[in-house]
Amino acid sequence: MSVEAPAATGNMGEPHPRFDARLKVTGGARYASDMPVDNPAYAYLVTSAIARGRIVSINLGEAQNVPGVLHIMTHENTSKDVKDSKLFSDGGFSGTSIIPLQSDKVWHDGQIVAVVVAETYEAAREAGYRVKIEYEAEQPSATFESNGVQVQAAADVKKTHEDPKVGDFDGAFASAEVKVDATYFTPTQHHNPIELFTTTCAWAGDKLTVYEPSQTMYGMKNGIASQLGIEPEQVRVVSNFVGGAFGSKGSLTPRTALTAIAARRVGRPVKLVATRQQGFTIATYRAETKQRVRLGASRDGKLTALSHEGWEVTSRPDNYMVAGTDATTRMYDVANVQSKVSIVHADRNTPGFMRSPPELPYMFGLESAIDELAYALDIDPIELRRKNDTMKEPIKGLPYTSRSVMQCFDEGAKSFGWSKREPKPGSMRDGDWLVGLGCAMSCYPTQMAPSSARVRLSQNGELRVETASHEIGNGAYTVIGQIAAERLGVPYEKVSVVLGDSDYPAAPVSGGSITTASVCNCVAEACDAIRAELGINDPKGDVLAALKSRGRGAIERYAEWTPKGVPDGALAKLYSGQAMPTGGTKDKERIMFAFGAEFIEVRVHQRTREIRVPRIVGAFAAGRIVNPRTARSQLMGGLIWGVSSALHEATEIDKRAARYVNKDLAEYLVPVNADIDQLEVFMIPEEDHEVNPLGIKGIGELGNVGTNAAVANAVYHATGKRIRDLPIRLETLLA
Amino acid sequence: MLDDADDKPCALSRRGFLGGASAAGAALPLVAEAATKPRTGRSVAAPDARAPAQVTLRVNGTDHPLSLDTRTTLLDALREKVGLTGSKKGCDHGQCGACTVHVDGKRVLSCLTLAVMVADKPVTTIEGLARPDGRLHPMQQAFIDRDAFQCGYCTPGQIMSAIACINEGHAKTHSDIREYMSGNLCRCAAYPNIVAAVKQARDVKEG
Repeated sequence: MSVEAPAATGNMGEPHPRFDARLKVTGGARYASDMPVDNPAYAYLVTSAIARGRIVSINLGEAQNVPGVLHIMTHENTSKDVKDSKLFSDGGFSGTSIIPLQSDKVWHDGQIVAVVVAETYEAAREAGYRVKIEYEAEQPSATFESNGVQVQAAADVKKTHEDPKVGDFDGAFASAEVKVDATYFTPTQHHNPIELFTTTCAWAGDKLTVYEPSQTMYGMKNGIASQLGIEPEQVRVVSNFVGGAFGSKGSLTPRTALTAIAARRVGRPVKLVATRQQGFTIATYRAETKQRVRLGASRDGKLTALSHEGWEVTSRPDNYMVAGTDATTRMYDVANVQSKVSIVHADRNTPGFMRSPPELPYMFGLESAIDELAYALDIDPIELRRKNDTMKEPIKGLPYTSRSVMQCFDEGAKSFGWSKREPKPGSMRDGDWLVGLGCAMSCYPTQMAPSSARVRLSQNGELRVETASHEIGNGAYTVIGQIAAERLGVPYEKVSVVLGDSDYPAAPVSGGSITTASVCNCVAEACDAIRAELGINDPKGDVLAALKSRGRGAIERYAEWTPKGVPDGALAKLYSGQAMPTGGTKDKERIMFAFGAEFIEVRVHQRTREIRVPRIVGAFAAGRIVNPRTARSQLMGGLIWGVSSALHEATEIDKRAARYVNKDLAEYLVPVNADIDQLEVFMIPEEDHEVNPLGIKGIGELGNVGTNAAVANAVYHATGKRIRDLPIRLETLLA
Repeated sequence: MLDDADDKPCALSRRGFLGGASAAGAALPLVAEAATKPRTGRSVAAPDARAPAQVTLRVNGTDHPLSLDTRTTLLDALREKVGLTGSKKGCDHGQCGACTVHVDGKRVLSCLTLAVMVADKPVTTIEGLARPDGRLHPMQQAFIDRDAFQCGYCTPGQIMSAIACINEGHAKTHSDIREYMSGNLCRCAAYPNIVAAVKQARDVKEG
């Protein structure tokens, strides 16, 4: 055991090393663009230089003269080839309804306007730069406050949207003894997984194989079929390893269909590796938000009123929203609540889900406001949370299936040394450094979706699990294999797991932290069916001996698992690529969340205002932890993501041109190794038998939710400056 | 190549240099131009920049004779021509470190290195670290033991950097490791585990 591989406690599983570890340290793990194809041609994207307007003319003369160029796609020769592009959130598969090359219209900066295919990458790139395009540009609207944006209430554009409310907020807030009324901003952010957006398409007759890093094998398969006007059975999607996704690879982007069309036209496989810069505009991102939070409380710290209003940017045609008020209105015991979400249409690419899509921005608002209230009341922020802790959400009065948030605060506080904190801002120093200690609550809804899987136990003791789920760094291979091994009493070393291929049984999108809970419950069901067939009902009974004694060579079971409370037809939709998760706030009888408490120490230099983070502590309770080693890593990564979001990351927008200006990894800041120092993760044992049979809650997005506010609260404690606009940077503190 | 142009490479004459540059013209057009124009005051017919260069890459102890577009980076040559896809493309601009390989034993960003620049120099990639019998390099084992990755995409670059970091003498302290491993981004943010892995491999090596 080591820090990195904590021993199992309570109901946790064993901290086995990753199933795919050896492949990943030897270069043997094949990501999509590593897949060998025969005689590939190479594609290069040309993207728009304006954010709004139309293409007047395209001159391909120079580009076509580059030796090795095979074909160039523009709207002039491709406008009818891509059929449909319904948005993911409207029951489709796509992250945007904007179809490039469909017409001369330009919807946003960096939209794909041409695709060059050539013998080599070098020739395709050169020709791409030689494509000459003339535009008729219109003045674009970039973001909040830009001329020409269109604001709509979420409830007006989306039938299923509800703005949670209960009681009489206005009355309660007016009469509250202590109040907070503050406006917060979170910036545009891009996922920037280190793996680029790549697609390789190869046709064999009318059958298409797509190698693309994806969080949704069946969504890709069905989505690309519908875009190309072919049957899903004609499409196979392969993505055995995904080099980071964080939501960016969870929906279809326009590049896939274009690459498939290119491959059909040139009659050979086509390989596209979009550049890092292009990744900012050919896929999705986390949109900037503006939020107003109002809290009212009695003098002794009891919350009486809570209002949370949010505004989110989206593209012109799409009504994408994250609406984090669904969670923030349900975290505390408060009788009078109101909320409202609005979307702001601008000339931008369509945003999409990025790690903790609703919770990250909205919990920054709520948990900053709670800290502000603690100071207004002169109450310790942890005690304020304890006073308003609840086992029932306030909107409908539904019980939490489990909620160990105060255990997380207590355990985290003990390790962090919270009791040594001097509450007064600016009161703790170490030489030239102002020391600040801050904390915040983290939460993430527990969600699950229908899944299918095939499990085979062979006489030689080998156990094989097949499912079209996804290894995105979440440890999916490992935890799925572990559950099968545990369930059938087979050594972990004898298990093999295959994922990331649409030829395998359908699994839901690996988004919303649903993979472990969904797929593992399904695999357990398949294992139980094997046990039942062998008549071994005792969990300690030897299934392998039973298999042999019956003279069987192997036994295989295909299972479909459906969580309680999913909408009708959810299982059938699994196969057509639409995950219909339940849980979180969707269940009619109970509410399901995982929780955490996050603690940050910041040091702010008293003269330069340089900000450092020497210590990060997170304590989490998320039901059954299948593998404490991989779980710790995910939570650790989440905590660092939170610090990144609070102090590093922002996509800067040139408001005149509605253009992202820091489109690379030198200018879009993410933490490097030197930015992170001490970090501790605690996993609080928690048993929850209501969420699903295995009691798994999901942890992929829990880690980065509270950190933003914890950092901002620590910065306030260090400096007395309340920063409500992320990211917090040296210049913010000097201003 | 320059050495071949003259019997006494240390006393390289201008004539010898130009001769060598011309001979290497197909492979090094920019050098040839830069060298000829100012020095002679007259232009020399520019070689066809698009003519493929014949290059032999020596990767993990094996020679790979290749015909390459001269603009091909070492990274693309390894991935697309040699078939070694362990080195990864994360930015193509030397900003992320995922493409790190060793050239002459030193860490190099293969996306910022033209393949023709390393002809005849020994290149080591992630695929060349484990022993032929399958035994892992201590750094690879340390990355497994410390769970120093999640998605694994930056891992080949991290491991190549980490080995060089120790060889350079930059792994003596906790803060040195963090500093000298900062050229390799990990978006999954396995940083504390990467530091632990570097320490483990360093101590195995020293012990």
